[in-house]
Amino acid sequence: MKRNLFLKILFSYLVIVSLSFFILDLLIKNEIKKVMTGKIEAELLTYAELLNLNSAQKMSDQLKQIARISSSRVTLVDAQGKVFADSEKDIAKMENHLNRPELQEAKLRGKGKSIRFSSSIGIDMLYVAITIKEGSEIKGYVRLARPLDDVQSMIEKVYQSIFLAMMIVTVIALVIALIFSYRLSAPIRAMERFTERLRQGHPVGTLLLETADETKKLADNINYLLDELQSQIRLANEEKSKLMTAFTSMTEGVLILNTEDKIEFVNQALSNILSEQYGDINGKTLMEAFRSVDLQKAFLEFKETRINVSREITLGNIEPVILNVSISAVQGHPEEEKTMIVFHDVTRLKKLEKIRIDFVANVTHEIRTPLTAIIGYLETIKAGAINNINETKKFIDIILKQAERLNRLVEDLLTISKIELNEIRFNFENVFLSDAVTNVISIVEKKATSKKITIENNMPEKLRPVRADRDRLTQILVNVLDNAVKFTPESGKVIIAADETDAHSVVSIIDTGIGVPKDEIQRLGERFYRVDKTRSRDLGGTGLGLSIVKHLMIAHGGRMEIESQFGRGTKVSLFFPLHKV
Amino acid sequence: MEERRHTSSHYEMELQEIKDGLIYLGALTEKAIQTAMQSLTERNSDLAHRVIKDDDEIDKLDSELEERCIRILALRQPTAIDLRFITTAIKITGHLERIGDMAVNIAEKAIQLNEEPQLKSYIDLPRMANIVGEMIKNSLDALIRNDLELAEKVRQTEQIVDDFNEQIFRELLTFMMENSKSIHRALLIMQVSKNLERIADHAKGIADMVTYMVTGECVRHQTCTLNEKEKA
Repeated sequence: MKRNLFLKILFSYLVIVSLSFFILDLLIKNEIKKVMTGKIEAELLTYAELLNLNSAQKMSDQLKQIARISSSRVTLVDAQGKVFADSEKDIAKMENHLNRPELQEAKLRGKGKSIRFSSSIGIDMLYVAITIKEGSEIKGYVRLARPLDDVQSMIEKVYQSIFLAMMIVTVIALVIALIFSYRLSAPIRAMERFTERLRQGHPVGTLLLETADETKKLADNINYLLDELQSQIRLANEEKSKLMTAFTSMTEGVLILNTEDKIEFVNQALSNILSEQYGDINGKTLMEAFRSVDLQKAFLEFKETRINVSREITLGNIEPVILNVSISAVQGHPEEEKTMIVFHDVTRLKKLEKIRIDFVANVTHEIRTPLTAIIGYLETIKAGAINNINETKKFIDIILKQAERLNRLVEDLLTISKIELNEIRFNFENVFLSDAVTNVISIVEKKATSKKITIENNMPEKLRPVRADRDRLTQILVNVLDNAVKFTPESGKVIIAADETDAHSVVSIIDTGIGVPKDEIQRLGERFYRVDKTRSRDLGGTGLGLSIVKHLMIAHGGRMEIESQFGRGTKVSLFFPLHKV
Repeated sequence: MEERRHTSSHYEMELQEIKDGLIYLGALTEKAIQTAMQSLTERNSDLAHRVIKDDDEIDKLDSELEERCIRILALRQPTAIDLRFITTAIKITGHLERIGDMAVNIAEKAIQLNEEPQLKSYIDLPRMANIVGEMIKNSLDALIRNDLELAEKVRQTEQIVDDFNEQIFRELLTFMMENSKSIHRALLIMQVSKNLERIADHAKGIADMVTYMVTGECVRHQTCTLNEKEKA
C-alpha cells in the first residue's frame, strides 16, 4: 500500500520533471544556436568587410593574417567563381565555387551565408561571403568560413548544467515523494490496521486520526458504520437470544430443517419429548431421525404444496407418544426456505380425554346397575308378588340393599367432587396414627374374621403425631384396609406397619391378596377404575374408594403410593407430612 | 467450478434420497409387521386387511427405489463406498420387499385365526415381533450410519429369534398332542412364528450387506470367509 503510493507519487513527479526538461531543451537549444550563429556571422562579416577594404593583391597577402585573427578560413573567389586565394587549401586543387549558396546569395544581395556540414572536418561550418565591387561591377567574393564547434561545446556546457539540475531535482522529488507518500498513507494505514482488527473480530474502540483532510472524513464514516454495525449486531443478538429463550423455554418441541431438509436445530422441549430415545438427531433427515411414516408423509405433503400441514402422529411402539405436529415454512431468502416443525405433546391430553369419557360411561353404568335391579324387583312386586308377603319381604330387602348401594355411590361421588372443589372443611388437629389405626381395625375386624383373615398390627407406639382431620383420616384408613381385606382370599394376612422419616410418617398396609398387574398400578387412583371389572363389583365396591383416598391424602399434604406383585399381594403406603418441631 | 459443485451436491442429494427411501420402506415394513401382529393379538381382522392392502405401497416403493439406484449407476458411475452403497441398496430393497410379503402372510394367517376361538393367549409372539421390528430398524440404522457394531448386534439377535421360534414350536406341540382339534390353529400360529423367524433372517441379511458395504468383506456365507482366509 505504502510502496504503491510512493511509487505512484514518485513516478508522477519524475514525469513532470522530465517533461519540463524536455520542453526546456527544445526551447533553449534552438535559441542558443540562433544567437551564437548570429554572433559568429556578424563577426565574420566584420572581418570580411575589413578585408574588403584592401585591394585584391593586398587581400591575398593579408589572407593568412586575417585567417589567424578571425580564426576562420578565408577564401577569395573571382567573379567567375575561380578561387584565387585560400588560407588553408591549395587553390590549384579547388573547384569552381560560384554555385555555392553563400556566393549566390552574395551575388544577389551583396552578402550571403550558409551553414553546411563539412565532410572534410566532420562538423557544421558557417560560411559568410560578401562581394568585392568596383563601382557596381562584381569583381569577386570574399568568403570566410568557421567551424561551429564553439556552438556545440556551448550547448554541451549548458546541457551539463541542465543535467545536473535535473539530477538534483530528481533527488529532491524522491525525498518529497517519500515524505509525502508517508504522510498520505499514514492515516490510510491506520484505517487499514483498524479495519483488519475489526475483521478478525478483536474488540476495537473508535478510529482516531490526527489529520483533517478527506481521510478524516473517511475515518468518521468508518466510525459511524462501525457504530451502526455494532448496534445492528446487538439488536440481532438480542432478537436471537429472545427467540432462543422462547424456543428453549416453551413446552412445545421445535425443530428446524435447513434447505437440504436436514435437522438444524432442536429445542430442549423436543429433546425431552423424545427422551434420548432417538440420540443426536442434528444433521439427519426427518426420516433418518424419526422413522415415522406418518411424519414423512406429512412432510412430503408440505413440501409439495408449501401449505402449512397439521397432523397427529404417534411415535414409538412400547411407550407411544402422541404428538400434534404442525409444519410450516421459515420465511427467509426466497431461494433457501427452511422448514419449522412444531411438536405438541398431546399424550397426556389424550389420556385425560379417555379418562373423562370412561368416567361418564362408568357413572352411568354404576348408577344404572342398581337402578335396573330396583326397577325390576318393584315391577315384580307390582305384577302380583305383593300378595306373597315372604317373597315381597325378600324383594324389598334386595331393593333396599341396591338403594343403599346407590346412596353410597352418590355419597362417594359427592365427597370426591367436594374435595376437588375445595368445599370440604378440614378440621386439622394433632392425631396419633397408632390410635387411628387401632380404631379402624375394630371397624373392619368383623369382616376380616368372617374371611379368616388375620390383621397384624405392627404400628410402633412412639410415632410423632401428624396433623390430620380425625374423621377423614378414619375414612382413608377404612378405605385402604377394607380394600386389603376385600381383595385378600380366605385365611390370608393383612399387615399394618409404620415408619418415620424426617419429613414423613409412612403407614403401610400390606396384604397377601390378588395383587395388581404392573401396568395398571398407576391407573388405580382413577375414578371407577377397576382392575378386574367383574369381580370387584361383586365385592360391593363403588370403584371410588382409592380415588377418595388419593384425593384426601393430597388434601392432607401427603401422598399415596402403591406397590404390587400380581398374584402375590399389594402394599399401599400412605405418606403423612410431619411438621418440623 | 460452480457447475461442478452443483452437480456433486445434487448427487449427494440423490444418495440421501435413496437413504431416506430405504428407511421409509423399512418403517413401512416395520409398521406392516406391527399391524399384522396387532390384528392377531386384538383379534381384529380389519387391521389384517389393511396390511394386505398397504403392501402395494411397499411393492411400489421397492421398484421405485430400485429404478433410482439403477439410474444413479448409469448416470453417475459411483465408485468405492458409493458404488457398494448403491449395489447394497438394490439388494436391501429386495429384502425389505420380501419382509413386506411376509407381513402379508402373517396378516392372512391372522384373518384365519381370528375366525376361530383363540387357542391360547399370545405372549411370546408379540415379543418376538418386537425383537424382529427392532432388528429391521437397527439393520437400517447400521446402513445409514455405516455402523459395524450395530450390524453385528443384529446378527447376534437373530439367534434369539430362532430360539423363540423353537420354543413356540415346542409349546404348540403340547397343544396338538392334547387335542387334535387344535392342530389347524396351532399350525397357523406356527406359520406366523416361522414367518417372523424368516423376517429376522432377512434383517440379518441386511446387516451382512452393511458389513460388506463398509469393509468390502463378505460375511454372508461360511465359504466367503474361507475364501478370504485363503487369500490372506
